[in-house]
Amino acid sequence: MSTAPAQDVEMKETPAPVAASSNSATSAAPSALQHLKEIASLIETGAYAREVRRIARAIRLTMALRRKLKTSVVSAFLNFALTPGSEPHARLSSYLPKEDDHEMEVDTATSVVQAPVKHSLPELEIFSYLLVLIFLIDQKKYSEAKACSSASIARLKNINRRTVDVLASRLYFYYSLSYEHTGDLAEIRGNLLALHQIATLRHDELGQETLLNLLLRNYLHYNLYDQAEKLRSKAPRFEAHSNQQFCRYLFYLGKIRTIQLEYTDAKESLLQAARKAPIAALGFRIQCTKWAVIVRLLLGEIPERTVFMQKGMETALRPYFELTNAVRIGDLELFKSVAEKFSATFSVDRTHNLIVRLRHNVIRTGLRNISISYSRISLADVAKKLRLDSPNPVADAESIVSKAIRDGAIDATIDHAKGWMVSKETGDIYSTNEPQMAFNSRIAFCLNMHNEAVRALRFPPNSHKEKEIAEKRRERQQQEQELAKHIAEEDDDEF
Amino acid sequence: MDPKLTEVSQYFERFKAACVREDIDTSANLLSQLKVLLTSFRSLPPLFEVTPNAVQELTIARDIYEHAVLLSVKMGDQDAFERDFFQLKPYYTDARKRLPRSPQEHMILGLNLLRLLVQNRIAEFHTELELLPAESLEDPCIKHAVELEQSFMEGAYNRVLTAKQTVPNQSYDYFMDLLAKTVRDEIAGCSEKAYDFLSINDARQMLLFSSDNELLKYINEEHPEWEIKDGSVIFQKAKETAPCKEIPSLQLINQTLSYARELERIV
Repeated sequence: MSTAPAQDVEMKETPAPVAASSNSATSAAPSALQHLKEIASLIETGAYAREVRRIARAIRLTMALRRKLKTSVVSAFLNFALTPGSEPHARLSSYLPKEDDHEMEVDTATSVVQAPVKHSLPELEIFSYLLVLIFLIDQKKYSEAKACSSASIARLKNINRRTVDVLASRLYFYYSLSYEHTGDLAEIRGNLLALHQIATLRHDELGQETLLNLLLRNYLHYNLYDQAEKLRSKAPRFEAHSNQQFCRYLFYLGKIRTIQLEYTDAKESLLQAARKAPIAALGFRIQCTKWAVIVRLLLGEIPERTVFMQKGMETALRPYFELTNAVRIGDLELFKSVAEKFSATFSVDRTHNLIVRLRHNVIRTGLRNISISYSRISLADVAKKLRLDSPNPVADAESIVSKAIRDGAIDATIDHAKGWMVSKETGDIYSTNEPQMAFNSRIAFCLNMHNEAVRALRFPPNSHKEKEIAEKRRERQQQEQELAKHIAEEDDDEF
Repeated sequence: MDPKLTEVSQYFERFKAACVREDIDTSANLLSQLKVLLTSFRSLPPLFEVTPNAVQELTIARDIYEHAVLLSVKMGDQDAFERDFFQLKPYYTDARKRLPRSPQEHMILGLNLLRLLVQNRIAEFHTELELLPAESLEDPCIKHAVELEQSFMEGAYNRVLTAKQTVPNQSYDYFMDLLAKTVRDEIAGCSEKAYDFLSINDARQMLLFSSDNELLKYINEEHPEWEIKDGSVIFQKAKETAPCKEIPSLQLINQTLSYARELERIV
């Protein structure tokens, strides 16, 4: 991704000699500054030509530069992009921490040599807000980030241009992030709702998506599952414009469904989210997998060992692996000890309540194992094997077994007078419909996947309209290459 | 003190007295009057304005609603309970920072959980449970409800019935009675599938009737398909359909057609 801008640097050449003469401490800064300047010019051309794709590309390039941002670079860029006396400039500079004098000198030197400052576009202004915000968050200065983002949101309300939308949606994300780090998420809920309304009115779909996800995250942060579900069901239909937003949406949806006891839907959403997420988004995938494991346990199926052995996830998933083991064996004592041992991890993941629900599954699995192994067994022995710790184990065991029979988990009858449980013979499965059902569900899944893939093919808009001049063609090819590389590398900035 | 506030406090005292006297009608009247008076306070939800008397107004309003909830339990009116509880909820959640904790909060939350359990709204039960912070789960009232739900789900119904003796509070009795009835229906349903037959004594014990007559009456009303022969109850086993050789043709046809359609779409 850095090859394309590097070529452009060689072509431009002008400030390079001046930069080379400055001391080594700031020699990294000019090249980052150069990048920022190219990005600014890209944004300008995009704004003038009304091409949203260029702005999206500009954002991607910025994300790549994130590591190299320093205060000097940011303030130099601000001097470059915004007229120094103007109000936005003053406001933004006030958020940046003060630097040493000697760095200031170098900056003023370089800025004097620069071409006269460009005419301030709203896009550039919003972009500068975005840059400052990213910088502050990376430096962990969350209270300044909060102030900066609130100011930018206020500014955004007055601008209504499609080209700003892409930048705006990033801004919303960082706005929510800065508040989350300072623990004040509840304050911005009203704002987010208002912004969502505005985005819907303006048909700003990317903004709508982002804001819906941020709102869901907000509600789920405070465990307000009821309200989150109400919002989600009433919000306009979710069209996935961005893969990352879609993954997040699926994850939040899965969580809501789990709490509402709709395990099948939840499993689907969570597994899909884990699958679609980019490989680099490890933290997100770990979270998805954790919830997916629990939902599968609650549904009564045992996830395979390979799920826990995925690269990079082994330590994080260790508690869940042991939990699965306990459920698989059907041993209540083991389950209790595992739950206690790792209770801290479970509370942090907020899965504690779900684990409590699993107790019932452990008993069921234990019962199933017993029913398959024994053709006839006394209820007292059943109670002993299940290790139910209760004052009246036989009566408990009896009622548990009868409920299990009614729910269809085991196939047996109880003889009350003699106090034992008689299992029925399991017939030959292949002579029933079972294999056909299983095949059918798999076939349906594959066909569904194929249809979705076809629908997901994207075609760039307006590609058939312009007459290709050689230069434009070269640029377009460059962009396509970059896009392909970007999809292959899978953007990792947002996770 | 504010004249409106004094008026409300006076009414409230009368309301509390009527509740203690178990005078349902007067209490209900006073309650409606109180609710109308409360609308004039601006510091209550949903406005939550900050007025000088805010804390007192909020506290009084919360106490009024708590008593309203308890009154609805006495009247046995579940809809009224739900309404009053929803009005009470913002005082517990949003106004948490402005008011000191109410001593009855956990008791009322536990009551609500129990109500959801009795009405078989398990999804909402769990959603409510999620909203509670971890330390609330240690409280006996709430723990009682949670354990009850677990026993219910597992099927250990006798544990549910013994829990009836250990209610933390008087007002839980109403719901526990309703729960007992649900449990009885559940046990009957399970026994149907699990047992071939049960002697009358055993059936009576399991279904918690005190006499054979009650048992027979229950069977006649709810489960007429059970037969009673020589001192035992025979459950009508779901007719063991001879392993049906018929193929579910409609389903197979639908599936095959859908395969054909999808495959055609593959270009």
